[in-house]
Amino acid sequence: MIECKGVNDMEEKILTNETVKSAAPDRVIKLQIKDMTKKYDNGDGVEHIDLDIYEGEIVTMLGPSGCGKSTILRTIGGFLDVTSGDIQIDGKSIVNLPPEKRPTAMVFQSYNLWPHMTVYENLAFGLKLRKTPKDEMDREIKRHLEMVGISGMETKYPSQLSGGQQQRVAIARSLLLKPSVLLLDEPFSALDAKIRQQMREEVKKIQSELGITIVFVTHDQEEAMALSHRIVVMNKGKFEQVGTPSEIYDNPASRYVASFIGEMNFIPQADGSTMAVRPEEVFLVKDGEACDMSGTIRTIMLLGHYVETNVQCGENVIKCYVQREDIEGVNVGDKVNLKFAKHHVF
Amino acid sequence: MSKEKKRMAFGYALVMPAFLVVMLVVAWPIVTAVQKSFTDPETGGFTFDNYLYFFTDPNQLKNIFFTMFVCFATVAIAIVVAYLLALYLRFVKSPVARLIGNLYLIPRFVPSLVAVYAMITIIRDSGLINRISLLFGADVKLGMMYHASGMITMNLWFNIPFAALMITAGLGAIPDSIIEGARDVGATKWKTFTSMILPLSYKDVVVASTFVFMSNVGSFTTPYLMGGNAPKMLGIALFDQFNKYLRYERAAALSVIMFLICSVSAAVYIYTNLKEKDWEH
Ligand SMILES: Nc1ncnc2c1ncn2[C@@H]1O[C@H](COP(=O)(O)OP(=O)(O)OP(=O)(O)O)[C@@H](O)[C@H]1O
Ligand SMILES: [Mg+2]
Repeated sequence: MIECKGVNDMEEKILTNETVKSAAPDRVIKLQIKDMTKKYDNGDGVEHIDLDIYEGEIVTMLGPSGCGKSTILRTIGGFLDVTSGDIQIDGKSIVNLPPEKRPTAMVFQSYNLWPHMTVYENLAFGLKLRKTPKDEMDREIKRHLEMVGISGMETKYPSQLSGGQQQRVAIARSLLLKPSVLLLDEPFSALDAKIRQQMREEVKKIQSELGITIVFVTHDQEEAMALSHRIVVMNKGKFEQVGTPSEIYDNPASRYVASFIGEMNFIPQADGSTMAVRPEEVFLVKDGEACDMSGTIRTIMLLGHYVETNVQCGENVIKCYVQREDIEGVNVGDKVNLKFAKHHVF
Repeated sequence: MSKEKKRMAFGYALVMPAFLVVMLVVAWPIVTAVQKSFTDPETGGFTFDNYLYFFTDPNQLKNIFFTMFVCFATVAIAIVVAYLLALYLRFVKSPVARLIGNLYLIPRFVPSLVAVYAMITIIRDSGLINRISLLFGADVKLGMMYHASGMITMNLWFNIPFAALMITAGLGAIPDSIIEGARDVGATKWKTFTSMILPLSYKDVVVASTFVFMSNVGSFTTPYLMGGNAPKMLGIALFDQFNKYLRYERAAALSVIMFLICSVSAAVYIYTNLKEKDWEH
């Protein structure tokens, strides 16, 4: 089925599985999770979690539903006891502290506003506990509501707000307290794409202004890529890979990571391994030039400035993103040769 | 007949049996009782005397105050104990808590007469507690029989499980995340209780209180078996007027008085239920 030469004698470009240390050595470790295990009574949970998070860093836990993202966040916030291991902030263990004594603030997956309090009261509750003067409190609340784009809703009750508005109040409520570590559990899940984008920018801006450290949870890979300094890809209670967005995109450590982040063609090889190629690394080449595979065009879709085309190569369908001019004059059913600029083998 | 009319007729037909039963066994006796309460037994004319008797006769006044005392004490103790029990059942996740959660309703299934006799054999001056104390050389006489304390104790047996059931349902509707959110922003356990749990469950407390109160105003079995001769609970006073003195007009007046006492509590119940807060929309 692979008619042309090239795959086997092509140089193996990327095969390193080790994670590159992303942070500069002089950065201060803010949050440290040491061999932490949290098992629920039914055996679910997370195991042997090790992670250093640096001051002022946005680290995202990314993984499918049920992989243990919330579990880790809740152990940091103090809402779950760890089964074993340790969690430290600024070098001090926090595992024995109740949530109210931890320097963390959490935005919960279920935006848990207090239903019997107005938006103002929801925001004021934590400030009152800190004995903030009234005028400063008013000012701060106004400023934060403006920041998340819901000014003038002070007197409404949560039940009178949309899901997205509630989520923004929840975000404002935790930012207001200037926590040194902010924990966000899928905080934008109820927002539409445009506001989601704005809120990402907002979180990034707030983070760099206040210099706080953020642990962010999402199952949206695009969100993780856009927002994070580093991403932790999780699978069934374990870390698959930790790295910067480009490290994870360019050098996925496993097939799982490769399939989870971005688009990827997986091509079974004769020796039982799998070759993985990103659609943008596939090029159409002229007859006679060196190529990796050939096949017939199944579909051509114009997606703005580039074209997505699916090519049937034997039993495999290869997705390619190509420039418009490169596919000029090529039609569905035509034979084409493909060259891979870069690939991985798992 | 049009389709619309047929449907309406069918609707009325469904409601009619219940409506007739209510009119016959509730509304009609109430109307005749109210009528009778204003009737002079000798002349058959209109009078306020039947009512004046209960508000002027010192013994009857004492009965009214005594009944109110027993009811309020029962409500206060039952609600506090039930609230603590409900808090325990809601927030403690242990096998013991689960066991208690399954067992606490058992008193509701014991027939009241059986329960009262069981209680009497324990607390009377020659009862179980007295006999156990004799083994240790003491002669403890509780003096709870024919006394308010005995009746209140018995009322608690009936009313704590009931109140706990209602309050547990209310506390169960408060999501964990509300409490976690409060702790997260720095509230202590006590502050979380006063700012979150209490305001979110206070309605259930009021409703449970009104139910407990109403069920005790007219109670009969417990005061009949455990109550003293004077002062009496109003249920017994009513029984006396009707069965001993054959003063049907006074009995009717006392019924109306008890009904009015209950209706204050009913009004509180309806008010809290109707008064939806802004946040409940
Ligand atoms: N209180 C609990 N008791 C028992 N098992 C639990 C509990 N909470 C979560 N789990 C289990 O632990 C695993 C991880 O759950 P977790 O909530 O951390 O997932 P998640 O990655 O946050 O998923 P999602 O994206 O759906 O929020 C799941 O299999 C879940 O069923
Ligand atoms: Mg989750």
